[in-house]
Amino acid sequence: MSCREIISEIPLYCYGEVTSEIEERIESHVEECGGCRAELARHRKFLETLDTREDATDPMLLSSCRARLRARLETKRTSFWQWQIPFRVPVGAMALVAVGFFGARYTPERFGGIEAGFAAPMFSTVKSVEPDTGSGQVRIAVDEIRRHVVSGTAQDPHIEQLLLSAVREESNPSVRFASVRILNSNADSEQVRQALVDALTRDPNANVRLKALEGLKPYGGDPLVRRTLANVLLKDDNPNVRIQAIDLLTTHHDDSIVGVLQDAVRKEDNAYVRTRSVNLLEQMKASVGTY
Amino acid sequence: MHDAAETVSARLAPAITDLDEAGLIRAAQKGDAEAFERLVRQYDRSVLRIAMNLLRASEEARDVYQEAFLKVYRNLHAFRFDCSFHTWLYRIVTNVCLDHLRKRKVRREESTVVETGDGTVDRVSQVEEEAPHANPERQMWNRELAGKIDGALACLTPRERTVFELRHYEGLRLRAIGDMIGTTEEAAKNCLFRATQKMRSSLESFI
Repeated sequence: MSCREIISEIPLYCYGEVTSEIEERIESHVEECGGCRAELARHRKFLETLDTREDATDPMLLSSCRARLRARLETKRTSFWQWQIPFRVPVGAMALVAVGFFGARYTPERFGGIEAGFAAPMFSTVKSVEPDTGSGQVRIAVDEIRRHVVSGTAQDPHIEQLLLSAVREESNPSVRFASVRILNSNADSEQVRQALVDALTRDPNANVRLKALEGLKPYGGDPLVRRTLANVLLKDDNPNVRIQAIDLLTTHHDDSIVGVLQDAVRKEDNAYVRTRSVNLLEQMKASVGTY
Repeated sequence: MHDAAETVSARLAPAITDLDEAGLIRAAQKGDAEAFERLVRQYDRSVLRIAMNLLRASEEARDVYQEAFLKVYRNLHAFRFDCSFHTWLYRIVTNVCLDHLRKRKVRREESTVVETGDGTVDRVSQVEEEAPHANPERQMWNRELAGKIDGALACLTPRERTVFELRHYEGLRLRAIGDMIGTTEEAAKNCLFRATQKMRSSLESFI
């Protein structure tokens, strides 16, 4: 092998990624050739230089990744209960909401949490970590929240606020579902109606969106609700939600939804929604297509 | 009677802690949450390290971690032991990282390496460098070098960077890397060669 060939093989040789035949050739060549020997030493130095780069993995980052993954997986696993829990638990059982509201912040022991013997149910968040390499001690600032149960009627302003927060912020869908279900009875309040509209538009769980839509049914003529329904009809990826949306939209006839219905006819892949849109456009004596 | 039957069955079933990797995978495939967690714990440090080293951005690495393990969770039922779990997992992770790197190339995201009055500084490595009792000169040199290495890595194509990280920093064989990123060993070899050449020419002044 020529010096040029040897030099081109050195990078792979250093990684042990050449055949044993080439390896032998390189080694015998380098023994004889000072130039190639120097090049090999230089390449090894380069590889050592690369190894000075420190591992960028932060233990706190790993811990937060684990907690986030666990919360997400628990959400997935509890999806079965979305339909079960609300019908089993009476409206007054606010414990579910109170527990669930803080549930996502619970530091699990097995999965990146602190394995400490807390005497009572405790929810903790590590806010900062200061290692002291001199003493080997670590100072950790922990925010702790203790679980407690609050109870009251759905009309109680404090309970209503908790439910509104749960709908907006809670990561567990069964808690959001239970909260929306209870809030549906308060939909005459503008604040609650807005929360239901937000849940219908943004909640990632289709059952929660359907439940919010159910609460908005008496307000099918409200301009905000109609705009939301039109948006849902065109954008929601769940056909059941779109079906409910068009059913509610059609309870009130107004020309402002003609364009939405024409769009739905053009884009919709669900036969029921498409047929309902066509029927409604015909009833309104509007053209089915856009020209 | 029922309790006794449950006790017997509990005694017969091996504890999750006694299961080897294949046992954990099978248990996780049947929906055992604890088995899945143990699998995650076995590999998640490496997964995060690869993501962090490839992307050098904590938030993105966190997203990669989450995305990769959720993919594993969703597709574990389809894992048929045709290859090692390690290879299968790394294939998922490298593909998620590659997607992020490609998207980043389009978005031209803010780099962790910033220019300051004192030269190039990598904000990620700076956190670690601020530990007390460290040699300040060494710190500065390391910081400068880390910035330079990251700068050089950032100039590689997403594929070159992935191959380089997996071979150099993770110590994986090129055959396995080729398999992970869906290419031949020969192509991975060429990729590593190009990456090494580029890295070396960027870091010439530090050698």
